[in-house]
Amino acid sequence: MTSSTRNEVHTHLAMMGQVQPALHNETHAPSPDMIDHTLWRAYTRSCHDVGGEYDIPIRYEEKEEEIWELNTFATCECLAWRGVWTAEERRRRQNVDVGQTAYLGLPYYGRWLLSAALILVDKQFVTNIELSDKIAEVKKRYE
Amino acid sequence: MSKPNYDRTHHAKMATGIGDPQCFAGKAGEPKFKVGDRVRVKDLPDLFYTRTMVYTRGAEATVVRLVYESPPAENEAWDNTDDVEWFYSIVFKQSDLWPEYNNTYEADTLETEVSERWLEKA
Repeated sequence: MTSSTRNEVHTHLAMMGQVQPALHNETHAPSPDMIDHTLWRAYTRSCHDVGGEYDIPIRYEEKEEEIWELNTFATCECLAWRGVWTAEERRRRQNVDVGQTAYLGLPYYGRWLLSAALILVDKQFVTNIELSDKIAEVKKRYE
Repeated sequence: MSKPNYDRTHHAKMATGIGDPQCFAGKAGEPKFKVGDRVRVKDLPDLFYTRTMVYTRGAEATVVRLVYESPPAENEAWDNTDDVEWFYSIVFKQSDLWPEYNNTYEADTLETEVSERWLEKA
């Protein structure tokens, strides 16, 4: 492993502390009696159900779709036409299964793309190792 | 050497040439509610997935339309279409949903869709 890889690993580890959901209590490995019903409901809430949550106003911006975003949309629709998933399974995967941190933190079509890759692995159309090998191969083209 | 085998064709077989949700028409039985009925959204367990927003639970609304029959989102999200339900479009008063809603806008409403299992007579 090169030292640039080690640098990236440590940058990643430092970043993880910053993207933890901001519940400002000590939360690692709580004992069961520390989780009352209110907390249980909060932890198990589907993270796409943001309606009514307290938040600050965000600025609305008109933005044209980028090519990779349009390609992602077309790919996901093709997966639907070929019976790999329905729109509802896609939404469940891209809006809820990704978890709250990724739901709020990743771009909209980033979550679509991530879910498209995962369902192909989950339903055995490609193996996880085939996917990893392909990512590594494509990455090499840009080195 | 083994792996599970997922049937990619079952949904296409149902919907090709018909459409979705049209392919589920007639599979939900008699609708329990009709247009104009007052209903309340149940606070059912919703582990892993739902489309019924938590902020609607326990609030009263009026049925304005029977929209279609479809597998409920909670099952369809795992590609299970065995149980089909009626979906209703229901209208809430905004002031019934948000305690701090400004009463200057008392006439404001919110319309959304829920499947039958979420509704009870108000």
